[in-house]
Amino acid sequence: MILTGSKILEEVKAGNIFIDPFLEEQINPNSYNYRLGSTLKVFTGFDGEKSLFQEIEIPEKGYVLEPGRMYLGHTKEIIGSSKYAMSIIGRSSMGRYGLFLQVSANLGHTTSCHKWTLELVAAHPIKLYSGMKIGQISFWCNQGSVKEYNGKYGFLNYPQESFTPSTINL
Amino acid sequence: MILTGEKIKEEVANNKIEISPFDQQRVTTNSCDLSLGRTIIRYTSPIIDPKSEPSYEEITIPEDGFVLKAGDFVLGHSNEKIGSDFYVPIIHGKSGTARMGLFVHITADLIDIGSHGVSTFQLYATLPVKLYPNMLIAQVSFWVPFGDIVLYQGKYQNSTGPRVSMVYKDFKYDIFKK
Repeated sequence: MILTGSKILEEVKAGNIFIDPFLEEQINPNSYNYRLGSTLKVFTGFDGEKSLFQEIEIPEKGYVLEPGRMYLGHTKEIIGSSKYAMSIIGRSSMGRYGLFLQVSANLGHTTSCHKWTLELVAAHPIKLYSGMKIGQISFWCNQGSVKEYNGKYGFLNYPQESFTPSTINL
Repeated sequence: MILTGEKIKEEVANNKIEISPFDQQRVTTNSCDLSLGRTIIRYTSPIIDPKSEPSYEEITIPEDGFVLKAGDFVLGHSNEKIGSDFYVPIIHGKSGTARMGLFVHITADLIDIGSHGVSTFQLYATLPVKLYPNMLIAQVSFWVPFGDIVLYQGKYQNSTGPRVSMVYKDFKYDIFKK
C-alpha cells in the first residue's frame, strides 16, 4: 500500500518518516516533493575502469544540462524511514521536460536516511536551479519484519558516484 | 497492493476507476493497456528554462506513422481519460514498446489520486521507432492507498491532450526557498 499525503504528514509528526527540511506545502496527494541540492557532479571522462566526475556548485543563474551526459545530484532534504520503503522519482513537470532524475533504481530501502543521490539525464537541454522542487518521493507499507539496511550507500549525504569493483570490498 | 485485472473491471463498473473509453479486451492480469492519441508536442526552445514558459510545436501523427530518431524526445498522450478517487494509478510502457527502445514516461510514473484526464506520455527513443495513431503503447496499474485521501487539484487536471510542463508557475508563486 502507498501512503496518502495525509498519512505522510501523520507519520512525519509521529517520527516514523524523517524529512528535513520539511514543508507541509510540499505534500502531494500520495507523495512528497523534494528539492534539488546545490552540488552537482559532472561526468568528465572514463579512465578505463571508472567514470570521473568534477564537482560543481550550481550558480545562482542556473546550470544547463546537456543531453547524452549523466550528472549526479542530490536532494536538498535528508529523507528516510525506519517503517516504510520509499520510491524516489521525478515530478511529472520535470518528466514533461525530458529530465530523468534516476536511472532505473528508484527503490529506497527501509531504514536508509540521508540526502539521496540523483542520476540526472536530460533528453533536451535544460537549466537547473539549486533549491527547485524537482522530484517526488512516495512511501510504501512493508510486509514482513524489517532488518536494518547496511548497504554501502546508506550513509552518504552528497552526490555519490558508484563504487567500482576495486573499491567495493574496502 | 496492486489491483488485478478482474478487480480493475469491477471498479470501472463501480465508477471507482475511470478509463474512458473502456475496452475489457485491453485489461491484462494486472493493468489496462492505453493507446496513443494523434497529437504530439515537440519543444522548440533550444534550452528549456523551468522559470519561463517553453515554446513548442504540435504535430499530428499521420495515418502512415511518424518516425522518432534515436535521441528524439516528444510528448504524446493516451486516447483514454484515466483517473481514480480511490486508487493510485501508475503508468508503465508495454514491454513490446520497451523492447523497441522507447521510453513512454520519463521519471514520473506515479499519478496523484484524484487526478483525471488523458495521460501525457514522455516519449524518448533510444532506437529509431515509428509511432502510429491508436497503437497500444502503455499500460496503467492501480494501487491501494493507505491513509485519508485528499484529492488532486493540480495544474494538469482534466487534460484532453498532451500537456507541456507548467513548472514555471511554481517559480511565479513559490518564493525560492533556500
